[in-house]
Amino acid sequence: MRRTVCALAALAALSAAPALAQQKTLNVGMATADVGKLDPHLAAGTPDKGLLHWVFTGLVRFKPGTSSPEFLEPEIAESWTVNPTATEFTFKIRPGVQCHHGYGEFTAEDAAYSIKRAGSKETSAFSADFASVAEAVAVDKSTLRIKLKNPVPGFLGYLANYHGGNMVCMKAAEEMKDGFGKKPVGTGPFEFAEYQPQQYVKLKANAKYFRGKPALDEIVYRFIPSDATRDLAYQSGEVDLIYGKQDQTWVQRMKALPNTVVGVMEPAELSSLYLNTKVKPLDDIRVRQAIAYAIDRAQLVAFKGALVVRPSVSIVPSGYLGTDEKAPQYPLDIAKAKALLAEAGYPNGITVKTIHTTLPGMQTTIEAVQAQLKKAGINLDIELVEHATFHAKIREDLSPIVHYAAARFPVADVYLTQFFHSRSQVKTPTAVTNFTHCNQADAEIEAARIEPDLAKQKALWATAQQKLIKDVCGIGLFEQLQVWAWRDSLDLGYELKGALNLSIPITEKTRFTK
Amino acid sequence: MISFLIRRAAFALVTLFTVLTLVFLLVRIVPGDPAQVILGDLASQEAIAALRTRLGLDRPVFEQYVTFLGGALRGDWGVSMVTGRPVIEEVLKVLPWTIELTLVSLVIGCVVGIPLGVWAATNRNRVIDYAARMGSLMGLSFPPFVSAILLLLGFAIMLRWFPVISARTGSVGAWFQSITLPAINLGLITAAYITRVTRSAMLEVLSEDYVRTAKAKGVPWRAVVWRHGLRNALIPVITIVGLYLGILIGNSVLTEIVFSRPGLGKLIVGALNQRDYTMLQGMMVIYTLVVVLVNLATDLAYGVADPRVKLT
Repeated sequence: MRRTVCALAALAALSAAPALAQQKTLNVGMATADVGKLDPHLAAGTPDKGLLHWVFTGLVRFKPGTSSPEFLEPEIAESWTVNPTATEFTFKIRPGVQCHHGYGEFTAEDAAYSIKRAGSKETSAFSADFASVAEAVAVDKSTLRIKLKNPVPGFLGYLANYHGGNMVCMKAAEEMKDGFGKKPVGTGPFEFAEYQPQQYVKLKANAKYFRGKPALDEIVYRFIPSDATRDLAYQSGEVDLIYGKQDQTWVQRMKALPNTVVGVMEPAELSSLYLNTKVKPLDDIRVRQAIAYAIDRAQLVAFKGALVVRPSVSIVPSGYLGTDEKAPQYPLDIAKAKALLAEAGYPNGITVKTIHTTLPGMQTTIEAVQAQLKKAGINLDIELVEHATFHAKIREDLSPIVHYAAARFPVADVYLTQFFHSRSQVKTPTAVTNFTHCNQADAEIEAARIEPDLAKQKALWATAQQKLIKDVCGIGLFEQLQVWAWRDSLDLGYELKGALNLSIPITEKTRFTK
Repeated sequence: MISFLIRRAAFALVTLFTVLTLVFLLVRIVPGDPAQVILGDLASQEAIAALRTRLGLDRPVFEQYVTFLGGALRGDWGVSMVTGRPVIEEVLKVLPWTIELTLVSLVIGCVVGIPLGVWAATNRNRVIDYAARMGSLMGLSFPPFVSAILLLLGFAIMLRWFPVISARTGSVGAWFQSITLPAINLGLITAAYITRVTRSAMLEVLSEDYVRTAKAKGVPWRAVVWRHGLRNALIPVITIVGLYLGILIGNSVLTEIVFSRPGLGKLIVGALNQRDYTMLQGMMVIYTLVVVLVNLATDLAYGVADPRVKLT
């Protein structure tokens, strides 16, 4: 019996020994139980997006390691021109770009098709981003012309390998239709090779990638939903790169591991409170101001951890084109909060309800906010519901206060439009995420959208933010950064500051040094 | 026997139909729109409405129900609303993982639990009995995700005998590596149940007259316990094993998540979180079918364990 046990243990130990040839294979651990649709125009979740930007390319790209539109550079389009009113873009398509799996050369026709596909509500979750596209036509094999109905701030960024900007190969998409999401065909450095349900997606190097054959042979994108298991899999050497927890203790723990790099990167998700200005008692600006005065951002940052969180600067995340980095947010002043409540007719305080998700990271935040508001006599009644229910209920306008954390395309127009423009009010046919029912900055938001002068445009966005903050439509709390950890033997090939798709870009230059 | 099987088959059909209807209605009552979940929070209302139409969610509920039942009768469970892949294909790809884990756990549970229960009963109120009772109580009260992490820390990180990601295939060695820790994790909990049931059943049997008679006749104690006693104590043990098999499939979700193994539990949780109606419906049918079949097998096993039990 003892011999059998020893033999089995030896067999297990031998098989568990890591293979020496792993240096050409990158094993990634992602926080998901499975992937959804692998169609870039439908993939809205981080686990799906995180994988697809290694497979697809855009007409332009965010310089690897950056997430700001100021670092856009040529990708499939080798050059472009823009007319003076910024309503007509002409792109020169790079010759010789090959679609994966032998679907031929990528031409301007593919690019035009891709943009139309991304703009169609039938085939894209991001159709709203392309609502201003009047036409996208292939002038010839290598020339693409896009006409806009009106100028769109940062439009070029929408054509990067992010959301609807991912270029699909027409022949493959038409041939596979709905099946495209099961076997995606792009033009990026890695091509789809295999999918095993609830286990992994395997990508192999695209030898015909136009920037050169990738240094890595293969990426195995493993689905590891448990945070603890992902950490253990990293420690055991089974994965080399893991999606982290946006948590200070996690960062500190991982930094203490030998040969480990922890990357804390942009874009930050802005955690905010959105107050419904049309329901009692929040329809009274003094009550909303009292809530704003009761928020202690410094304490929230200390609570969440300064390594992964920084205080909000506005109701738009910092670093976006058009963010007012010194917006006049309400400071902490409990006495003033109490006085405002008394003035509004609530000397004994108020009770306000919020419907909230049970996602642990968000739940701890709202509980901290609840404790802060309590000091000013504001009783925050939290109704906890599971995440999908939360999204459904807040869109039905059932939560007077909504706590929401989000990162968006880094142009102020996007955040302001989605969260504060009257067209985005929930329970309307054009709803997005305006839970506040505010509309006082509509004029500035719309004017900024078509303003050709960048300085004036920024001034309009700043005015919009100041108005919305003053009227307490939204209260910025803090900004939470993305975290990943990887082995120091993995050379990314660039300096990592941010990644709009929220996962680490793996380029043709990414390689293992050992 | 045949009439018994026919009755059970008819009962199974009624159960399946009831479950189908309940699941169909329940998933639609729970708040949360599949189209919203699929397209994410950036999607416009127009895109969401278009997807709802494509998924058939804008049609009257009764019409959706008739379509669903018609498909179910033809064996067509539709495609997952999230992935677009056929439900049956998704289920069949992970079902073997769950069956394998459940069966191996059950074997571990029986192999450990039955002898331990017998041993505890035959040594009532002695150290062995107290130890077995204490052990089984710990097994029942220990959360499986905690024991799973402890197993991984001990055997995958410290000793490096097993991988953390327990989903290897391709050889007997790989299979052994993948199944061992998850099966031990679930198997020990199963063993805890079986130990307690076996002990109490054995205590009852060992006080029966025929046991005393066998002892008086000079039958060796080992034969009295294992041949006469255990056989008669098996009915409640079979009942608990049958019941627990159904529970195991449902309970395996935490083990699947911590050991990063594919399985039905993960599929159900994913479908529930994403409001994947078609997937949930298909999964519930499979789950119900498994429970019905296990119950049938349990009833049949009674007859095998005790010939006095007649299935009519």
